Amino acid sequence: MIINHPLLGPRDASEFVYKGDASLIERPDWQADNAAELFHDYLYLRDNPAGEHQELWYHEQGDRSWLVVTRNTLTHDITNVELARDAVLAKQAKKSGRGEK
Amino acid sequence: MPDYTLTANTPLNGFSRDFPGVSINEVNDRAIVSIVAPRDGEKELIKALKKSYDIELPNAGVLSVSAQDNAVLFCMAQDQYFLMFDYTGNTATTVVHSYLNDTAYLTDQSDSYVMIRVSGANSRCLLERICPLDIHPTAFPVRAVARTIMEHLGTTIIHEGDDNFLLLSARSSAYSFLEAIETSAKNTS
Repeated sequence: MIINHPLLGPRDASEFVYKGDASLIERPDWQADNAAELFHDYLYLRDNPAGEHQELWYHEQGDRSWLVVTRNTLTHDITNVELARDAVLAKQAKKSGRGEK
Repeated sequence: MPDYTLTANTPLNGFSRDFPGVSINEVNDRAIVSIVAPRDGEKELIKALKKSYDIELPNAGVLSVSAQDNAVLFCMAQDQYFLMFDYTGNTATTVVHSYLNDTAYLTDQSDSYVMIRVSGANSRCLLERICPLDIHPTAFPVRAVARTIMEHLGTTIIHEGDDNFLLLSARSSAYSFLEAIETSAKNTS
């Protein structure tokens, strides 16, 4: 399997380590009233889709970047790869944009 | 005071060996210093690099080359750079600090790595057996740099010149890394 790294180009999957569902990026607010419930869901509940799935990959034998990879679990086709940092910043910008409205 | 002094060994004790068409040499006269810009301090670092080394912060995969101490600067990770330059002492960061002052966080990495130069007409033939990247000059030209794995060992490969590659790998597994290179040399010569 080849992962098309956004900065470094196509790299063999052996350079990467799978780190889990990309939803792990969205860590709950530990000060929320229902923090215990949120953290239970965050830690233990996972979707297991047959099809498109967003997941975290770590480029351990490369530039040590964290990536959000969109992969089809049925075909292993990878349709999108972005830096996790960019994905998070985009989400934050989207949130703050909504907040201003 | 003790009546003896300690002398540091290099990772491979100055290894050097020639095979038909290819030479394998440990490099011991270069230092490596990791450079990281403080948060929101990248502009100051860029200015300092320009003033002292007359180089830019490189994009991933490409060397910035300076005449100052024959330094090369390359990106190792997001927001992290390695500066490699001629130096044989034990306090490499002081040299870099004298140029960059406090514009960057510096860490001496010299003793963490083994540096091996593979050179000669057969060098690419040797490396293509152990390097998963395409290192043909059309894909990996002179001054290209990449981090990958060779024989399961993390390696940074730098294309220094025609038929001339510099490999950086962890010092702790230096002899295992050398064995992989030597084995490939035997297999291809």
